[in-house]
Amino acid sequence: MKGAGRFQLLHRSLLFRYLLILVAALLFIPVIVPLTIMLYSIFGGLAHEAPPKEYALYSSVDKLEIMWHEEARKLLDQPPEDITQRLRTLSETYHHARIFWVDHEGRTQLVTEPSGPPLLLDGQAARDIPAYWGAAEAVSFMKDSTALKPLAIVAFVGDQAEAGEGFMVMQIPEEIKNGRYAPGLDKWYSIMMLVFLIVFVVSSWLFFVMIRRRLLRLQTAMVFTGHEGLPQVVPPGKPDEIGRLEEAFNTMVTELKASLAREAEEETLRKRLVADLSHDLRTPLTVIRSHLHVLGKESLSPRGQSSLELMDQRIESLGILIENLLSYNLLSSGRTLLKLEQRDVLRLLRESAAAWYPVWEKEGFEVEIDLEGAPLYWDVDDSWFRRVMDNLFQNILRHARSGLYVGIFTEIRDGSRVIIISDQGGGLEKSSDSAGAGLGLSIVDLLLKRMELEWSMESTGQGTEVVIWKRTS
Amino acid sequence: MSVTVLYVEDDRDIGNAVSADLREREYAVRWLESGEGALEAAEGCQLAILDVMLPGLDGFTVGQRLKRAYPDMPILMLSARTSIDDKLQGLDFADDYLTKPFHPDELAARMEVLLRRSGTAAPAPMMLKHLVVRPGSSVVMEAASGREIMLTGKQFQIFSYLLRHLGQVLTKEQIYEAVWGESYMEGDKTLMVHIRYLREKLELDPAAPEIIETVRGIGYRVRG
Repeated sequence: MKGAGRFQLLHRSLLFRYLLILVAALLFIPVIVPLTIMLYSIFGGLAHEAPPKEYALYSSVDKLEIMWHEEARKLLDQPPEDITQRLRTLSETYHHARIFWVDHEGRTQLVTEPSGPPLLLDGQAARDIPAYWGAAEAVSFMKDSTALKPLAIVAFVGDQAEAGEGFMVMQIPEEIKNGRYAPGLDKWYSIMMLVFLIVFVVSSWLFFVMIRRRLLRLQTAMVFTGHEGLPQVVPPGKPDEIGRLEEAFNTMVTELKASLAREAEEETLRKRLVADLSHDLRTPLTVIRSHLHVLGKESLSPRGQSSLELMDQRIESLGILIENLLSYNLLSSGRTLLKLEQRDVLRLLRESAAAWYPVWEKEGFEVEIDLEGAPLYWDVDDSWFRRVMDNLFQNILRHARSGLYVGIFTEIRDGSRVIIISDQGGGLEKSSDSAGAGLGLSIVDLLLKRMELEWSMESTGQGTEVVIWKRTS
Repeated sequence: MSVTVLYVEDDRDIGNAVSADLREREYAVRWLESGEGALEAAEGCQLAILDVMLPGLDGFTVGQRLKRAYPDMPILMLSARTSIDDKLQGLDFADDYLTKPFHPDELAARMEVLLRRSGTAAPAPMMLKHLVVRPGSSVVMEAASGREIMLTGKQFQIFSYLLRHLGQVLTKEQIYEAVWGESYMEGDKTLMVHIRYLREKLELDPAAPEIIETVRGIGYRVRG
């Protein structure tokens, strides 16, 4: 069972298919080529016209050679007429061959022409036999004979050169020797080989195209994320290696979704805890403040009134501190989502300043605002950017009372437009309760970083200047 | 006739203190300790003050139901700003938002603004320097002579918007978008021109305006 399962797995695997193609490629030369040759021989043999029976005489070159040399030996010391007669007799038996002989003086004594297929020399008609043989004719004949087309069997009369009685030759046409094959078979063989090659190339190509397509689909699924910021699940494919990869990818996406859901749940719980804490801390403060207000309506000594005012201020500060503490807790967890949108920050700044203006005015601050000029678009979260401004303005109100000045400007520094918020207070270090400002500024830092903004703060005895600018990539 | 306020607060200490303070300020208060029955209790009320954290139905749910049933009744939410999402959620239907621990005077001031904006409060004519204005109507008169000042449609809309936000500094963008209903383009002089004509009609000395005040670098304000 286990073995069958393994085979099933192997059978479905890409490796198996790839090996199949490789085996096919390896078999292509040692198996396919001989196979095709065999087929070629079979079909070639079938296509071959059966040779006439008289061609059987010429089927064995060795036998012909033996016979020819035997005849030559028998003709030793025979008069030319007998030699001619004997060769003429032989030509009747071997009438498809051309037989001639040349005497010791180089004169051609007899030439019989073949009765069947013509003698061809490399496709051309064979030369005529010269009447007289000199060295040149002999060499020329030898050269023609080396090609063996037509096959030439040469023997000295008497089968020995020393006899000096000349030589005798039998030339057999090529067609008789080799038979005739069906025309165009070579072409079919080439086509068949080409088809094999094309089938191999196409199957390899399809194999890799299929792999590539599936990998690309997987890549697309990984790159394009949905509204949750997670990749989409891919539809299950074949159960091979890529299929298993897709399955693993889908499992990962599912687990990520579950993890996100858990995180969202934790975040909800965290928010609820913070909200409950906030409520539980603020409720008694509200009660105390209400009662302080009631007390303030009673007739109290100036010292009593002053104490009440101080308590009221401290309650307000405590409220802000709780606010900042819980906000910092939420923000530092990094899971609070900021909706970054391109907004005119000068407009947001003007609106924040407008809300704070009556408070500054009441406290006797001189307010100088210069935010004229083209809008300044940054990617910010509207509400949280207002929160940054509120924290900075709150700090001015609480820690720069001595300077009674608020300046809000925009100007160009190092080639970029920046926002400047300044005061002429004694600086944060000299403030009596600068510890509270630290938390507010930590929130400012966290928020501005999340909005990809940079900021700096310079605080001296003459005042504090906060500069905000857009981070350059 | 006094203004009736629906007040939903689960904490008895706060509820008692705030109710007492509001009654001292001559408001009729209907105080509920939960959101149950708020819809029925809101009948005849001119303003609702809701705490967000309530047992059972939370302040947002109660507020949304109240807004559906009484769309003209302003709603003021009381809670922490800690969860800014809550603030946004709250402001979808609520008209204002006040964080605890608030000062009773601040609560009273916000209530007055909301009532004035909804046309419930200050039915009586209001004195603005040398002018008598009747919020909610288009009548603007010179107090001394009783002469009515005629304003054009746009001038009246601008002046009404400033009066509805009496004492608040409003940016040029806020005024323009509220009156014209379209986005303000930086450098657009339309609003400035209308304010100039408005001042020529309303101010004793348009060069030194006392009614419509320019807040340099921000916008305009009509002081209460």
